[in-house]
Amino acid sequence: MSGTPDTTAGPTAPPAESGATLGGASGGHRRGHRRFWSARRVPAGLLALAVLVIAGWFLYDIAAVRAHRPGMSWRHELARQLAERQLDDVWVLTGAAVAAALGLWLLVLALTPGLRSVLTMHRAHPDVRAGLDRDAAAMVLRDRALEVAGVQSVRVAVKRRRTDVRAVSHFRDLDDVRKDLTAVLEGAIRGLGLARPSPLTLRVRRPGRKGR
Amino acid sequence: MTVNTTVNRVLLALAGLVLFALGGSVLAIGLGAPAPSWWLHDGRNDVLLDDSERTRWRDEGWWWPVVIAALAVVVLLCLWWLVSVLRRRRMAEIVVDTGDGDVAVLRGRALEHALAEEANRQDGVAEARVLLTGRRGTPRTRVVLLLEPHVDPGTALDTFTAGPLTHARTSAGLPELPSEVRLRAVKHRPERVT
Repeated sequence: MSGTPDTTAGPTAPPAESGATLGGASGGHRRGHRRFWSARRVPAGLLALAVLVIAGWFLYDIAAVRAHRPGMSWRHELARQLAERQLDDVWVLTGAAVAAALGLWLLVLALTPGLRSVLTMHRAHPDVRAGLDRDAAAMVLRDRALEVAGVQSVRVAVKRRRTDVRAVSHFRDLDDVRKDLTAVLEGAIRGLGLARPSPLTLRVRRPGRKGR
Repeated sequence: MTVNTTVNRVLLALAGLVLFALGGSVLAIGLGAPAPSWWLHDGRNDVLLDDSERTRWRDEGWWWPVVIAALAVVVLLCLWWLVSVLRRRRMAEIVVDTGDGDVAVLRGRALEHALAEEANRQDGVAEARVLLTGRRGTPRTRVVLLLEPHVDPGTALDTFTAGPLTHARTSAGLPELPSEVRLRAVKHRPERVT
């Protein structure tokens, strides 16, 4: 956005219901909107392991003491620390802050879908749930955009609310290039088969002095 | 959502809630917030857990058995959870109804292979990976399709659903074969077509 000619097509939004025009029954259409939910295997595994180790350790030591074996010293030390540290102690406050933050993080993990890189695809068949990788979608759009005459380079970012395309055109009239690009890209976005295609934001400019 | 996902998320939420409540309350009271009278801590000069609180029930006969039993339950539950997270569920065989009152057993690997083979031959699919999951009577598949640049993902999905997936379902005599398909792209440099 230097002094180079810059044409910006505002959100050339396909109508909001464009998902329904993608050749599907509107009954399956609503269900197709559901996002993919991550199984959260890694955090679950780590948490299970941590609780297992801590509980196992306590269990072992308590059972050992019950069986009249000497207990490990860490339990005495832990009891002493718990009974001596006051709540306004720096370490207690630090630990509490860490625990609260960790707890909040676990809650966020539990309640959010995750898998942000997967875009839900339109559900053509009731048995089939499909997701398209964001990178793959961007790559397809990039390839289609490069097929338009006059386009030198393209950068595509497929986001949730809009699809950002920044193209650099080295010949032809910018308005023509923009018109062609809009048509090609809207076709390509439809071809992605997404449940909720994000509207296109297109920006075309001449190669600037800054390389691109 | 599968059962596993739900279990993972419920337990994560539970742990998060406990940590957040304990950590948050200690933090708040330690920084001078007023504590309700029934709470564990009654002010910023209180300690985390004093001796009388810790040993309140120690002389009762039920205390140690209960502690040990509770810890044992926690350990067993965590073990079960860990195993269920680590285990990759994969179906070994499918029972096929042959239609004449008999049943045949189809190896899960065979169906995976057949499905992947046919998907590989599909236009625009560079590689297909298939995993058969679910229970014996009701198999499900998880498919990853690596797409080549020239194909539209929507078209590839439709072709896959109508072709390989339907063939696999009908050849195994299944009334339905729920599938989760992930489409990815083969990484490649920008291609100029002029």
